[in-house]
Amino acid sequence: MFMFSMQTTGLVGLAVAENPHERLRILYTKILGVLQNIPKDAAYRKYTEQIVNQRFNLVQTETDVQKLQDKLNSGHIEEVIVQAENELSLARKMMQWKPWEPLVEEPPSDQWRWPI
Amino acid sequence: TVRPKNEVEQKQLSAFGEYVAEILPKYIQQVQVTCFNELELLIHPDGIIPVLTFLRDHTNAQFKSLADLTAVDVPSRQFRFEIVYNLLSLRFNSRIRVKTYTDELTPVDSAVSVHKAANWYEREVWDMYGVFFANHPDLRRILTDYGFEGHPFRKDFPLSGYVEV
Repeated sequence: MFMFSMQTTGLVGLAVAENPHERLRILYTKILGVLQNIPKDAAYRKYTEQIVNQRFNLVQTETDVQKLQDKLNSGHIEEVIVQAENELSLARKMMQWKPWEPLVEEPPSDQWRWPI
Repeated sequence: TVRPKNEVEQKQLSAFGEYVAEILPKYIQQVQVTCFNELELLIHPDGIIPVLTFLRDHTNAQFKSLADLTAVDVPSRQFRFEIVYNLLSLRFNSRIRVKTYTDELTPVDSAVSVHKAANWYEREVWDMYGVFFANHPDLRRILTDYGFEGHPFRKDFPLSGYVEV
């Protein structure tokens, strides 16, 4: 028989995260560190910093996991952790792709005309 | 009867379209919202993987599900094939369409590295239209017969085919 509290997330493949605040704190600091390498006027940096700082403040002020989930309004805390990991990998890839530069190539003038 | 216009949804979709266009100006050529409240991003072909990864991973745009991957043949254009990706966000319950273009000979980056579901869809587009996908793990025919020659969904392929059965 299990002696410790047997919780589940209710989602297949997502284990319950012990110490989610710590994990989220680490992930958000890493994201903010990666974002420093992007030029300051890039829209991606602006908006992502806004999102990350908002979530970071909520994580730091709210210690109860249940209330934190309600405030973030983004599903289970484990899902929030997965989303933060995705955002971190996206930020690293954005550093290489540099999507804030101007348009690569204009399309031919009739390309997007509909009806033809 | 006429479908009632949903102004709120149209405004939300166009706001989101402007948001994405502001973040990725390098690849997005045009953004439009159809009258049926469907958001479409028109992309340069170099930007397929960056845009799809952004839409999948970004917190404000978790389009984790690739609903469809098709192509449209418009022979009068210089780039005759238009590749269409339909994405669905489960977190925000919204859909988005990403469109790119290519001609018969230029390869297009495969979306398999971003969405595993694109595997068979890209095989189908290769088989039916002849659009080659670079870095696809296994690009071979999927619907046509084993020795079949030609790409059936192209507009210049006749309805009854070239071979008598």
